[in-house]
Amino acid sequence: MTVADSVSDAVLEVDDVSKFFGSIVALSEVSCTVGPGITALLGPNGAGKSTLLRIMCGLTPPSRGQVRILGQVPRRDLDVTRRIGLVPQQEALFDPLTALQFVELAGRLQKVHQPRAAAEAALHLVELDPGDSRPVRTYSKGMRQRVKVAQALVHSPQVVMLDEPLEGLDPRQRLRMIELFRRLADEGRTVLVSSHVLDEVEKLGSRVLVIAEGRLAATGDFHQIRELMDDRPHRLRLGADKPRALAAGLLDADAVVGAWVQGPETVIVDTVDVAAFRRAVAGIARQRGVRLHEVVALDDDLDSVFRYLVGRR
Amino acid sequence: MADIYRLILRTQLNRGRAAALVAIAAVGMLLAFAIRVTVASAERAEAAYSLVDGFGLGLLVPTTALVFASAALGDPAEDRTLVYLWLRPIPRWQITAASLAASLSIAVPFAIVPTAVMALLADGGIDLVGASLGAAAAASLAYCAIFLGFGLVVRRALVWGLTYLLIWEGFVARSGTTATRLSVLGYARTLFADLAGQSPPALASSTSVAVAAPFLIGAAAIALTTWLLRRIDVA
Repeated sequence: MTVADSVSDAVLEVDDVSKFFGSIVALSEVSCTVGPGITALLGPNGAGKSTLLRIMCGLTPPSRGQVRILGQVPRRDLDVTRRIGLVPQQEALFDPLTALQFVELAGRLQKVHQPRAAAEAALHLVELDPGDSRPVRTYSKGMRQRVKVAQALVHSPQVVMLDEPLEGLDPRQRLRMIELFRRLADEGRTVLVSSHVLDEVEKLGSRVLVIAEGRLAATGDFHQIRELMDDRPHRLRLGADKPRALAAGLLDADAVVGAWVQGPETVIVDTVDVAAFRRAVAGIARQRGVRLHEVVALDDDLDSVFRYLVGRR
Repeated sequence: MADIYRLILRTQLNRGRAAALVAIAAVGMLLAFAIRVTVASAERAEAAYSLVDGFGLGLLVPTTALVFASAALGDPAEDRTLVYLWLRPIPRWQITAASLAASLSIAVPFAIVPTAVMALLADGGIDLVGASLGAAAAASLAYCAIFLGFGLVVRRALVWGLTYLLIWEGFVARSGTTATRLSVLGYARTLFADLAGQSPPALASSTSVAVAAPFLIGAAAIALTTWLLRRIDVA
């Protein structure tokens, strides 16, 4: 399974890419394709996400393999940089400049027709005031993050790559930024977001590239990936007035493979067949005289999928 | 290219660097003034020549070039803002040329003009002032071009650059051996001597070589820096 629906949709093509730093293997034999829409690049710190993004942009060459963006090799074909917008991970900006000067400079270097107007529009997109006369060195981390996003969008690139773009943003800003990424994807752009903030990434969409220890652990829709994880029990939290009785009933009926009472009204269970469990749990509770008031799947989320895939390696 | 020139100029020139270079230039001018008031008029031209040769060309010009040119691309590479220049559809030679132009623009008020002012203050005569300007400008071009690429690839370029200036340019190249011909200072001193009508230093190259060398060194260094920019791993 690849993240692009087909190779013909692929905007980004990563073909058997490895990257070595001396004896350290940062990436090993990574192959994937990414098409229009939002794709999340997930992995723990040090997994190789930033290295992969840097290779995709052409900032560093792969030791082996090849990357193409829109059919071009980014490190060799300078023109393709017009169609790429990158939000790098580092905070540093050209500190003496104002946000408008910084973004306008990006527009000029990208040969945008009206760089001042484009810079103002880009700053409005990220909810920054183009008239702010303070240099960016006085900005908070969140504001600097938004300036970085604005400079990446000033030339309306077809491909937008963002390395941990939600870091430093407050919850409201994160939501607004996620909305912005979704709008970009709706416009047909290819948006690749690297992050380890899983709950926010989950809000972006379901297409993921999971990278761990320099290798591609999984690609595709994370819900489908979770369903394919048959070798691992699903975990649920049950709320009940008599958790011990409920746990005993579930174990006696072989509806679960494990049960742990946690607190006065909570029991955690593992089951290999969630559908069968859901059909059976209400009846078992009734038989044991237990009032069941909550059934919550704990590991049907991206975090769980991610930890599973990374832990499996 | 003008945008990059302005940007580099603005980011290179901070108060700390400016203050340090102004202080060095001020010392040179104080020495020049001391020559004017303490040295007999018959010996003043010779003393002024030695001051420009030793302090201006030997210290102020290379130090200024090192401080600013090594920072032109070195600072963005180190603080990881180079990505904002590199990931643009700009030929790499334009980034190099704009950075060199910015470094030279700073060298004019911080090194080239002060060197000439030293000659003037020391009462060296108008010919020495002209010779100081010419030699300082040629040396600045060569040093700035060299330190541009040096700053891009060498961490702590200031420390290593000072070591190079002290050991190679300041000591080995003054020894009057073949090493003189492998130093920017050697050519700058030859050019200065010729322009000032003084006898050339030991093992000096011909005047035509001394004139051409800074430009050739500059061109080679620009080509090398552009090549490095194309191949660099941008963080």
